[in-house]
Amino acid sequence: MTLLDISPHRIAGLARANVTLVARNRLTFIYAVVLPLLPLGLLLVGDNNSSGAAANAVVTALMMAALFPVYANLLSQFVTRRDELVLKRLRTGESTDADIIVSLALPGLVVALTTSALAVPIAVVLGQDPPLNPLLYGLTVVVTLLLFVAFACWTAAWTRNAEAAQLTSMPVIVLVVLGQVATAFPDNVRRWTDLTPGAAMADLVRVSWFGFETGSTDQTLAFSDSWAAAGEPLLVLTAWAVLAVFLARRSMRWEPRS
Amino acid sequence: MKSTLLSDTDHIEVRGLRRVYGTGDKAFEAVRGIDLVVGAGTVVALLGTNGAGKTSALEVVEGLARPTAGEVRVLGLDPVTDRAEVRRRTGVLLQTSGFPADLTVAEALRMWASTMTSPRPVADALDELDLAGRADVRVRSLSGGELRRLDLACTLLGEPDVVLLDEPTTGLDPKSRRRVWDLISALRDRGRSVLLTTHHLEEAEELADRVAIMHAGRIVREGTPAQLGADQPSTIRFHGVPALVGLGDLPGAIRVATRSGMTTVHTRDLQTTLHALLGHAAETDVRLPNLEAHNASLESVFLAIAAGDNDPDEPATSMEGATR
Repeated sequence: MTLLDISPHRIAGLARANVTLVARNRLTFIYAVVLPLLPLGLLLVGDNNSSGAAANAVVTALMMAALFPVYANLLSQFVTRRDELVLKRLRTGESTDADIIVSLALPGLVVALTTSALAVPIAVVLGQDPPLNPLLYGLTVVVTLLLFVAFACWTAAWTRNAEAAQLTSMPVIVLVVLGQVATAFPDNVRRWTDLTPGAAMADLVRVSWFGFETGSTDQTLAFSDSWAAAGEPLLVLTAWAVLAVFLARRSMRWEPRS
Repeated sequence: MKSTLLSDTDHIEVRGLRRVYGTGDKAFEAVRGIDLVVGAGTVVALLGTNGAGKTSALEVVEGLARPTAGEVRVLGLDPVTDRAEVRRRTGVLLQTSGFPADLTVAEALRMWASTMTSPRPVADALDELDLAGRADVRVRSLSGGELRRLDLACTLLGEPDVVLLDEPTTGLDPKSRRRVWDLISALRDRGRSVLLTTHHLEEAEELADRVAIMHAGRIVREGTPAQLGADQPSTIRFHGVPALVGLGDLPGAIRVATRSGMTTVHTRDLQTTLHALLGHAAETDVRLPNLEAHNASLESVFLAIAAGDNDPDEPATSMEGATR
């Protein structure tokens, strides 16, 4: 599989069909489109003056955007299309493997990117500062989404069918949520949970947008400090992404187990 | 014959192809060294029972799998390393069709067209396979035959030079099957090359310029349907086991078999044997109910090969021995 062997024309055609399919299945649509938009509402109901609450809302929004439209949706689409032998059929044509994966992921990626972008004007309107380091915030979103695309492909490899996906997606979900809830854990436990992708992503959001140092909810970082403060979580998140891509490429399966 | 006629070269070349699944003790050699050539404007049928290795061989030609050993060339190119170029000019039909159940026929075909460099208009393809009236029907509601025709419409959408069909008419009703056969014949007339697998002898006989019979991973016979039949005895059959003495002594007869109340006389010279048999029956006033006389068909060749399935490791040698 060549990662960059893609054609925008083919991806557009395939993604169009995938959007149609997501829209036709009500449950899929709710999980892929409606659910990830909900956490943005947390920004509205949270304490307008507390940047700590706003940070939690943005982290939750981004996590939901990565988990539902990207991870769970891609996993279920991939497994369903594989069972229907659609993936095998497509691979007999001009489409490359990368075309197929990108087009399956694209509708969910658009939803996730929209959510991450919408969070900015909503937060600003509600009295929060715009992201301290927009580039770092954008990078956090991109690496996070790439990680979850790769996680979905890897999980699909050992998911027997669409029903089984509810179970097989648990390890990744736990890995993400663990980092989120870890703020309540004692320090010696958090040393380890900080190594989860969920914690790394949360740290990056706090640093890049709100200028929080690790564990703090006061803006102490200036723009120039934010890169250095982001170093460790960015390294953790990137390492997870590299690992996930490696695992996915190694285990990719395109037709149902016979 | 139009200007679209292609140069007279070999479109598919397979040399010493082997394909092994698994490793070590669990290794299974599905394709055990086959050679195959499909020239421009010809239809070649790969005939064999289930498990003979037809699909395993075809998947390598399709570029879906790499050969364990040997070489495959499609349009002079390697289907894996020259994938983009080969795919643009190849149409593939897999053994089982695969479309998203919730798309309509037209949407599925449009999706497929969007992945192609130069597809024909979707409406033309729908007409050609008699699907225009079903354009807005969801794939999940199609009959098996309609689904197969949708799949074929995709296969032929890019006007491919090389067409690879894995059991194209399995599950089709007689009318749809005839339609597909006509399409395949039309492809040949336009200089395209077709490699198809089938276990329908009638299909191979009707369509194929050349037939390669696969058995236990090897091609055990190859030739035109007539050539293959020529090696086999013709048969005379009739109901009952009449009190005709000396059937085996009829001129040309080589063997007489009786089974389930049918008598079968195998002969190297159908006309002479039949003439003698009818004369004999007339003299002794014996009726021969349901009398049939057949030239050797692909069926008899096929059955002879399947019946020789005692030593899967040595079918090629024993079969060649039988031909010579």
